[in-house]
Amino acid sequence: MEVLDEAFEVSDSTDWLGTPLAGLVAVEQSFRCHVCKDFYNSPMLTSCNHTFCSICIRRCLNADGKCPLCRASDQESKLRGNWALREAVDAFVSARDGMLRFARTPVVTASPSSPKRKAAELDSPETAMQENKRPRMSTRSSKTRAAQAAAQMAQEEIDDSEESDGDDFEPDDGLVACPICLSRMKPWMVDKHLDTTCPGSPQPDQASTSTGPNHRSIASRSAPSPFPPPSPSKTKPPDRLPAVAYAMLKDAALRKKLTDLGLSAAGPRQILERRHQEWVTMWNANCDSARPKKRAELLRDLDVWERTVGGRAPTMSRALNMGAQIRDKEFDGAAWAAKHDTSFKDLIANARRSRAQAERKAGGDEGVGESANSNPDPSGLAGPPTQQQTEVFDLQSGSPASRPSQPGPPEYGNGVEGLPGTDNGDRATALIPELNPFALHSQ
Amino acid sequence: MPPAAGFATKRLGKELQKIHNSLPPGIDLVSAENFEEWFLDIRVLDSNPLYKDQTYRLKFKFSSSYPIEPPEVVFVKLPDRPIPIHPHIYSNGIICLDLLGQQGWSPVQNVESVCMSLQSMLTGNTKDERPPGDEDFVRANRLRPKDIDFFYHDNNV
Repeated sequence: MEVLDEAFEVSDSTDWLGTPLAGLVAVEQSFRCHVCKDFYNSPMLTSCNHTFCSICIRRCLNADGKCPLCRASDQESKLRGNWALREAVDAFVSARDGMLRFARTPVVTASPSSPKRKAAELDSPETAMQENKRPRMSTRSSKTRAAQAAAQMAQEEIDDSEESDGDDFEPDDGLVACPICLSRMKPWMVDKHLDTTCPGSPQPDQASTSTGPNHRSIASRSAPSPFPPPSPSKTKPPDRLPAVAYAMLKDAALRKKLTDLGLSAAGPRQILERRHQEWVTMWNANCDSARPKKRAELLRDLDVWERTVGGRAPTMSRALNMGAQIRDKEFDGAAWAAKHDTSFKDLIANARRSRAQAERKAGGDEGVGESANSNPDPSGLAGPPTQQQTEVFDLQSGSPASRPSQPGPPEYGNGVEGLPGTDNGDRATALIPELNPFALHSQ
Repeated sequence: MPPAAGFATKRLGKELQKIHNSLPPGIDLVSAENFEEWFLDIRVLDSNPLYKDQTYRLKFKFSSSYPIEPPEVVFVKLPDRPIPIHPHIYSNGIICLDLLGQQGWSPVQNVESVCMSLQSMLTGNTKDERPPGDEDFVRANRLRPKDIDFFYHDNNV
């Protein structure tokens, strides 16, 4: 079982059990998504304040629109990135290997002569000491980053204070500010300026020449999470794809959407919808990531999806071929047919019954006529039913209503037997056996 | 099997590892040879006379959309593994439990939590009876459990 072996290599919070750092089981648990059980990948906050991987919660909301933990309704558009947790997870994951290696290393070397019971006590300071040492080595980069971030904040604070000072700060340049537009000019120019060129309000351009950068830093600080924006100006995250109401979309339009996205437009309608939805989910989840994957990688992910869940999944293909129009994902056609077999029969029986009733209502004498059909002696009674039947035939063949009067009654005198030769007659024989049983039942 | 591992496989791999490490008392893994079908045994731990000294075999079937979709969970009848008597368990092993339906299922549930729910469902039961209409259902049903529209008439499970 190669697959199982592969799967066993995945890390798990229980890795800490049996080590001196067993307390980290709970810590690690809190860094893992409840849906995929893996470390949070682009954690997102729901409206109900629960956190899941971006792709997990998006898949869940697509499936039933509810939070997996508390079943509260939510929408993809309301998800918000949990950036602090994202950093915490990243830091923990990068430190995990070192910590685990340390935790699994026997600690006997440091205190060989300690009494038996004291060993446990000694473990903890020892642990704490080494723990301090080890992570310091392995997390230097993150420390540096933190320091940079702190410096950045401090810098912003300085800018800030400069800015607040700047409000009533008068540069000693021999100029004065226009009381309205704050442009600086020589004192004697002010009157003329006010009469002619003053725009009537403070000019942003003018002001920003001295305080521009600070304005920008303020703007960035008022953003929801100013603390180290991973790469503020390097790459703009790709645009999210909008959700699609598939019920409103014709086949051709959906295929075009897929083609426009550079995806395969092959397969039954249901697969197209699911492929498109999965791509939108992957794409949007990728937009939440601190390190977005390239498009080619996403396409590979979609290929994996296609082979495991989508159109090329081994268990799915059969069911899909059976009934693409059935929206259920795993449609059990055989069971469905078996289940509805009786209701189909009921429907057929009902239809026959109501048709028979309609026939009987159509002519009060019809019951007599039908009984006459079954009667071997047609002589006197054969007249009315044949008349009735010719009317029906005329409607079906579209021939003029005057037709029954054309052939003389004697020709039809023998009732049904005279008809089979003609086209209309064929229909008559087709109709009569259907109707007869019910006519007999009703008597 | 292709090397590609879907999200169901990844998630089940994690669950399996956890299960190998430890399972709550009264729950044992019998076999998990792939990521489609697992068997587990459960026992009721208290002295409920209905289930005393009995072990029951559960079969889990996972779709490729697990855990977005619930697993199919039924009791399996074997010579030494009866179907537990319970007003929500049909004598063919099909379980009427909202947790296992599309509505009651949540992706945060897992194999272990389902087993524990079933354990406590048995523990809390005092009625020595099958669901109403058990015979008819067992005779007529050809649907898979997930396609049955259960009417959850009892919320005191």
